[in-house]
Amino acid sequence: MGQNRLISPGSGKWWALGAVVILALAPIFIASGYIRHLLVISMLYAVVAASWDMSLGYGGVFNFAHVALFAIGAYTGGILTKSLGVPPFLAILAGGVVAVAASLLVCLPVLRVKGIYVCLVTFAFGQVCLHVVRSQGELTGGNRGLVLIPPVRIGSYAFTADDKIAYYYLALLLLVVATFFLRRLLGSYFGKSIVAVRDYEEYAVSRGIPLARQRLLTFAASAVFTGMTGAVYAMYLGVVSTDLFGFGYTTTLLSMVIVGGVATTYGPILGAFLLGFLTEFMSDLGPWRYMITAVLIVLVLRYYPQGVYGGLQRLAGLLTRKRKS
Amino acid sequence: MDIAGLSSILVSGLVLGSLYALMATGLSLVWGTVRLFNFAHGSLVMIGAYIAWTVSDAKGLGLGPWAGLAAAVVVMFFVGVLIERLLARPFIKRENAVIIVLMTTLAASSFLDNSAQVLWGPRMKRLAPLVTGKVAFLGSAISMQELLVIIVAPLILLALGALLKKTRIGMAIRGVEQNPRFARLAGINVSRTYAITFGLGVSLAAIAGVLLGSKKFIVPSMGDDPMLKAFIVVILGGLGSMLGTVLGAYLVGFLEAASIFFLGLYWTPALLFIVMILTLVVRPTGLLGEN
Repeated sequence: MGQNRLISPGSGKWWALGAVVILALAPIFIASGYIRHLLVISMLYAVVAASWDMSLGYGGVFNFAHVALFAIGAYTGGILTKSLGVPPFLAILAGGVVAVAASLLVCLPVLRVKGIYVCLVTFAFGQVCLHVVRSQGELTGGNRGLVLIPPVRIGSYAFTADDKIAYYYLALLLLVVATFFLRRLLGSYFGKSIVAVRDYEEYAVSRGIPLARQRLLTFAASAVFTGMTGAVYAMYLGVVSTDLFGFGYTTTLLSMVIVGGVATTYGPILGAFLLGFLTEFMSDLGPWRYMITAVLIVLVLRYYPQGVYGGLQRLAGLLTRKRKS
Repeated sequence: MDIAGLSSILVSGLVLGSLYALMATGLSLVWGTVRLFNFAHGSLVMIGAYIAWTVSDAKGLGLGPWAGLAAAVVVMFFVGVLIERLLARPFIKRENAVIIVLMTTLAASSFLDNSAQVLWGPRMKRLAPLVTGKVAFLGSAISMQELLVIIVAPLILLALGALLKKTRIGMAIRGVEQNPRFARLAGINVSRTYAITFGLGVSLAAIAGVLLGSKKFIVPSMGDDPMLKAFIVVILGGLGSMLGTVLGAYLVGFLEAASIFFLGLYWTPALLFIVMILTLVVRPTGLLGEN
């Protein structure tokens, strides 16, 4: 997984800019509300997948509770706006803050353990969150989920108006800001230090990289936009269910990271769009679509661990070499 | 607290502990020998229960509960071998094999859960108990099935222990566990041993599934909760340590039974999690885990 791959913050910058322009202009050409809806969902997933890629791909820490952080953000946003009447934008920020707090909580035991135990502890954390949400039925809606979450609004303008176009740009804004944040962070001293810890832990620590602090920061940084996205997700759909804590979502998000390309940031974003649309087009297949996704994960890991983004990079490399010669 | 309350905690603690011991030992065995973690273990518990249902139930082949158990154990052994071949072996040489295999087995878990839905449909099933009737125990009645679980689980684990100690393949497994390279030098087929270990672990999951399937309904998600408990068990007891795992299983079983009795069902998972965290803080490798 991305071993020894150097991070250059500049790589892919122009492509990313082009993609943003295309996404920003897309609603003009796409009249179908359904396709737009898929784009919104994909952009939201992209934030979560890219954030996960930071701790999993670059940090080399398998935080199984990552999707739970997304769920925590969603429940925070939903409960604050619905039950406490907090203004939506404040609730979105709160989603990020609570997710960061939760990520630090789950990181504390992680600091004590290594390897496989990290996965076990973070997985157990997510499951406990699920049980707590289920048990607090009056606040969270329990097993039936949280419903009738009010939409985001500015003044009297509800984001649900005009074919939910405002949500589209809100999601795009989140994606752009989150990607910029992640790329800057990964290009910085901090980003290089977590890759160093991943690849050569003893040496990195002996060179003075504070392991515990970097790990806490990695968790917090991967949680902040994940939580905010969760809150937006809750307000966009108007419902949150305990399914968010389940295996299904974790597997889906993980497949986005893996198929897109681990430790590339842009790869998981690409993966989110690809699988976001693919799973939606396969939705008639019922359980089969999850089976197909599962097979896809294994095949990519087995035969092409660089993922789609790695493939594209290679393709681009071949093309430029041809042009030069 | 009256005697009936005490005995109910004792019985359900023993039943839960026995089931968790069967499940977690499978995980621990594979980890100890192959150094990989099979995340699909909970789903394999479920598949084992479904296979037993198909063979035993009148709506399936109708061969009775014992044939169901036997079929589940045998079929799941080969499923375990298959999982090793497809999802573990291709990755075992890679640098971060542990994380990759975690991902492939997580994918397998999703695959199995959904294929159960395709193969057996959404309707809940229930296995007939292996034995019927009730016996009196300390002022409360317990079912023969529960008694069977309490007695049989330790016997199976003892049999596993004997298998590992006395038989050729058991010694091969322990040899590979201690040092795969020297084991190979000594003429042990390491990759075959890995496959057999996976098979054994999954067979244990199948037994747990059959016992669970007559206690609760069989649904595609039936393995999720026991899987979480098995996680807590191996963390408490120490992955790779058989004795630690069994100890952890009964500890979690009794803790859960007592917590459900005193605190109620809802707070029990949180309590178990807190105990797990505290254990990790004091002993990061679990009670009997190696460093």
